[in-house]
Amino acid sequence: MTDPRTVVVTGGSRGLGAGIVQSFLDSGDRVASCSRSSTPQVKEWEAEHPDRFLFVEADIADREQSTAFVKAVVAKWDSIDVLVNNAGVARDGILALLSDEDSDTVVDLNLKATIHLTKQVVRTMLARRSGRIVNISSITGLTGYRGLTVYGATKAAIDGFTRGLAREVGSRGITVNSIASGYLRTEMSHGLDEGQLNQIVRRTPAGRLGEPDDIARAVQFLVDERNDWLTGHVLVVDGGLTC
Amino acid sequence: MTDLQGSILALIQSLLERSDKADITVALDTPIHGDGLGLDSLETAELSAMLEDEFGTDPFGEGLMPETVAEIVAFYSSAGESGASVPA
Repeated sequence: MTDPRTVVVTGGSRGLGAGIVQSFLDSGDRVASCSRSSTPQVKEWEAEHPDRFLFVEADIADREQSTAFVKAVVAKWDSIDVLVNNAGVARDGILALLSDEDSDTVVDLNLKATIHLTKQVVRTMLARRSGRIVNISSITGLTGYRGLTVYGATKAAIDGFTRGLAREVGSRGITVNSIASGYLRTEMSHGLDEGQLNQIVRRTPAGRLGEPDDIARAVQFLVDERNDWLTGHVLVVDGGLTC
Repeated sequence: MTDLQGSILALIQSLLERSDKADITVALDTPIHGDGLGLDSLETAELSAMLEDEFGTDPFGEGLMPETVAEIVAFYSSAGESGASVPA
């Protein structure tokens, strides 16, 4: 058993994020998470792991709240070993009918908030010359999916961010990778109708939608201390859908 | 030398040591870049992050671009002299 790490998972109150938080609590690490509001799951973790679970209500698309969240983590645990940029939002609808507000919401959270929060965290990692960053991306950023143009654009952008940052900080013991997730059975996929979901399952070699744990295991792999030669990569975890 | 100067010099020395530049002598009038400490952009970012870690704020993060060690010291001593508290 290695020493507990301090892990930040954005958007960890439900869905995929909650699965990733659970995975790091299970591996004995300290986990800090944030989202706009608490959930029964969050309350449960707070009661169960008061010493190694921290939750802050914060909308990271708001830079002040994002900064306050990172400062709260560093104040409590001094440094951050692992950052999982999971917070994201999808607004489905064909572009020609998508409101500017919806497209701004997606860009502001998925892209701008991720960049801002990562900047702050990578500074603490640079001061210590070690760290692991995983950006939760999507196969919609690789293949495109009708109704998810802006969402897919932010995810493709995040993959570019991953590669650039990996080059910047690679010499300082910090790795940066993306996971291009396939379609999961979480709330984020609720924009897809029954027919679309069935079609996805039919086209998926593994024959099912993904579960948060499918992604959480890949995150654990990428942030393993021994994996210091795996960086700047986009790991596709999609049951084979895009292979 | 004041405590503030001493702690900033020590912090810079530790950065140089881990960058395999321990042979460089640091003085107040040493330029940060070029012929002085020769910090590249990534090392400058590290210095900025280390200063913020130590003092809660840093001149680079405030948009200033100090050129010498003395200018870094001045950033913190002027914050103290004006009576302004250093933001956490």
